[in-house]
Amino acid sequence: MKPRIEKLLDFTFSRRQDALRRDADWSPLLARFVAEGVDDETRARIGLVEMLRAEGETPAFLDGERLAFTRTVRQIPELHTAAEMDARRAGGTAFGEKGVVFNITADFAPTIRDGLDARLGELRDRLARCRAEGDSEGAAFCENAALSVEAVLELAEKYRAAAASRGLHDVADVLARVPRFGARTFREALQSLRILHFALWCEGEYHCGLGRIDQYLLPYYEADIAAGRLDDDGALELLEEFFVACNRDSDLYIGVQQGDNGQSVMLGGLTRDGAPAFNALSRLCLKACGELKLVDPKINLRVDKNTPVEIYRLGTELTAKGLGFPQYANDDVVIPALERWGYEPEDARDYTVAACWEFIVPGCGLDIDNIDAVSFPGALDAALRLCADGAAEPGGYDAVEAAFLAEVQRRADALVEKYRHVEVLPGPFVSVLSAGCIQRARDICKGAKYNNFGIHGTGISVAVDSLASVRELVFEKALVSLPELVRLLDTDFAGRPDVLAAAKAAPKMGNADGRVDSIAKRVIKFWGHAFDGKRNDRGGRFRPGTGSAMYYVWHAREIPASADGRLSGHPFPANWAPSLDVPVKGPVSVVRSFTEPDLGAVCNGGPLTIEIHDSAFAMPDGVDKVAELVRFFVLRGGHQLQINAIDRDTLLDAQAHPERHRHLIVRVWGWSGYFVELDREFQDQIIKRVELAAS
Amino acid sequence: MTAGRVFEIREFTLHDGPGVRTTVFLKGCPLRCAWCHNPEGQSRDKETMRRKDGSATVCGEDWTDEALAAELLRNADIMRQSGGGVSFSGGEPLAQAEFVCAVADRLRAEGIGCALETSGAAPESDYRAVVGRMDFVYQDLKHHDAAAFRRWCGGDLEAILRNYRWLRTSGVPHCVRVPCIPGVNDSPADRAALLALAGPGATVEFLPYNPAAPAKYPMLGREFPLAAAT
Repeated sequence: MKPRIEKLLDFTFSRRQDALRRDADWSPLLARFVAEGVDDETRARIGLVEMLRAEGETPAFLDGERLAFTRTVRQIPELHTAAEMDARRAGGTAFGEKGVVFNITADFAPTIRDGLDARLGELRDRLARCRAEGDSEGAAFCENAALSVEAVLELAEKYRAAAASRGLHDVADVLARVPRFGARTFREALQSLRILHFALWCEGEYHCGLGRIDQYLLPYYEADIAAGRLDDDGALELLEEFFVACNRDSDLYIGVQQGDNGQSVMLGGLTRDGAPAFNALSRLCLKACGELKLVDPKINLRVDKNTPVEIYRLGTELTAKGLGFPQYANDDVVIPALERWGYEPEDARDYTVAACWEFIVPGCGLDIDNIDAVSFPGALDAALRLCADGAAEPGGYDAVEAAFLAEVQRRADALVEKYRHVEVLPGPFVSVLSAGCIQRARDICKGAKYNNFGIHGTGISVAVDSLASVRELVFEKALVSLPELVRLLDTDFAGRPDVLAAAKAAPKMGNADGRVDSIAKRVIKFWGHAFDGKRNDRGGRFRPGTGSAMYYVWHAREIPASADGRLSGHPFPANWAPSLDVPVKGPVSVVRSFTEPDLGAVCNGGPLTIEIHDSAFAMPDGVDKVAELVRFFVLRGGHQLQINAIDRDTLLDAQAHPERHRHLIVRVWGWSGYFVELDREFQDQIIKRVELAAS
Repeated sequence: MTAGRVFEIREFTLHDGPGVRTTVFLKGCPLRCAWCHNPEGQSRDKETMRRKDGSATVCGEDWTDEALAAELLRNADIMRQSGGGVSFSGGEPLAQAEFVCAVADRLRAEGIGCALETSGAAPESDYRAVVGRMDFVYQDLKHHDAAAFRRWCGGDLEAILRNYRWLRTSGVPHCVRVPCIPGVNDSPADRAALLALAGPGATVEFLPYNPAAPAKYPMLGREFPLAAAT
């Protein structure tokens, strides 16, 4: 790593950027919006303009920096009062999370290529057409969008002038070119991307992914190399500076936990035409991450059955450094799954992930891929109570499983009703960076090419293990009756340690045990079809997944003990993973169990998470072994995989002495974060996961 | 059909050969090394291991060669994919040589490579029969001095060295492993003597002492012998 990058890294780690920041009080602006009844789109535009103009951002340059733009205002304007939003919800409008555009990846490439001036030109032409056609809604969009673009260009110009006056002539030269005009060099392309991405956060969007940077930045890298303007060392240095910058403002980015900011990057895979896409720039990105060891950007790597082992090794070398990424996605499963959901083949081949792991197509989608979740253990708990009350058909284990699946369906149907009509708040600037919005003269919030909603499936393994336990304890061994078992769940098995022990000893997912894996197969198949034929009012589908996001903590609080022997108050595993209290034979059996179902049916996303004790990487061929494990997962038809390399003692020490472990990175539910910045509940869950891996 | 006794089958082992491997730990060993970290592997008898939380498990499970091979072959796909295989460890696998040969033959018939971790404390015929079926052998050399070896391990060093000398000429790929035990065999002079004993051109791995070695003794109701002896 170059000393210049080390300096920028140190600046970020020692949080010296805090001194560049100030607080802003946006409440007068909000009061004005309410008093004047300003419409949503105008609020979004004014918010961005105020944020970027005299009231807000001021140019800041770090020592030695070559890619400018650092946040200097902590708060972005609130555009709606809580009362306004509550009133809308009360009026029957559903929103995804905060309501604004989030969890998507914008179409950066055309604007890096053409410059924002080109977008301004298109907006002016479109405005003229709207006026001629009497399309006042379209005209308003074009005006708001153009004003937003101009605000971004003004701030860039302010930065340019400030750089020039400080003698930072190379920075000023780059800013004289981008983002107004198309980038010609790798450095210009990165600077342009930095500004566009920065502006999205200022507009209020969050979980703004970066997408396939190794594809859309490749032409600039190649042109520089061909012209002899840049070598790999120089490109690596620029990439590293860009990656460091992704960590500088990220504490201001909204998420459930610190680190949950959705700055994801997707590397490798296939091009839109179906050719192998892993290239020299993909390699440099992996190298940069390995040197920097930062949580952002969060690296995803697309692989398939033909991916050379060497690429798995490159990925595993990052895992070995304890970064919690790359997260792998299997093109052989994901691309056909997206095509089945109606994504065009070229778009499907272009997929990336949203904030965590939801598969989306960058640039042209307004999928809300985490709109809600079905708690599988919750559904089973309800079904067991129905069966115990005699409300369900008697008929042995099969009737219990059928009642459970019926309850899953009931919950799925309820979510379809709940989210049939969802509103999204406008974002004129993100619309400019999204394919088709200018042509349609409509904000992206009105809908894009893809408008699907994703539904997580929480605690699937807990439910499946519980079903296996019910079958064994109630129907095969007749150790306990179903009504009695339900009573025991409410009392944490009080008075029946034998039942608890038998529940814990029943077959569990993660051991390649056909008795339980066969149940999982049926459950996943059912879940994959739970939304067949259902559409939201934008014509979008509902995509079931195996993810949990943060629901694994929330949903676990909603039920008492479960029939697999999990006691009340104990969490579920995150995503698609063995239950936390289950001893498993090892990672090979875990992969075998969790790739047994057809995962193409549940491709909203949601990775298998495996913890590998970090001592594995002390052996010279540890990387090879883990790389082969990942490849095994892919060859078996797994959809998504993340691996944590950590040891328990370090985590415990970090809980006790956070000051000694500020840089300790862990994978949480779909993103890597600093362990010491997580709430205790999340820390404990990770320690629990690691305990099972240590052997 | 032969039968054998196993105390653990562990998948994805890291120290027992190339690729993704499963290691079979065979129960029973003629030696009693004072630092042994698998004391439950020493006796051929089934034993009960009691944990602090009061739970107990029976250690030692009987398998036929057919059943054990079938169990191991469940992971044949990833073993083939990664150039891995099965490793036999213990205990002392050569104490159940006929069983190990039978299992290895079944694995080899399916194209699965085998590796052996042995102290070498076995009759020559058993040693040669098993080693001849292996793709790789980890041969322990624990001490260079016969008297010290007898004191610390309770066995005959010369018999082991006879086997080792044959291994050197056998053409079977192998390496020597030395567990470094503080105060027993870890002085520079010890190391030099062990290297000399391994012979010219031998690959020798010095393994650091495992600080977790005493962990399992209390579960068997035993004292850690090395603690008593030093």
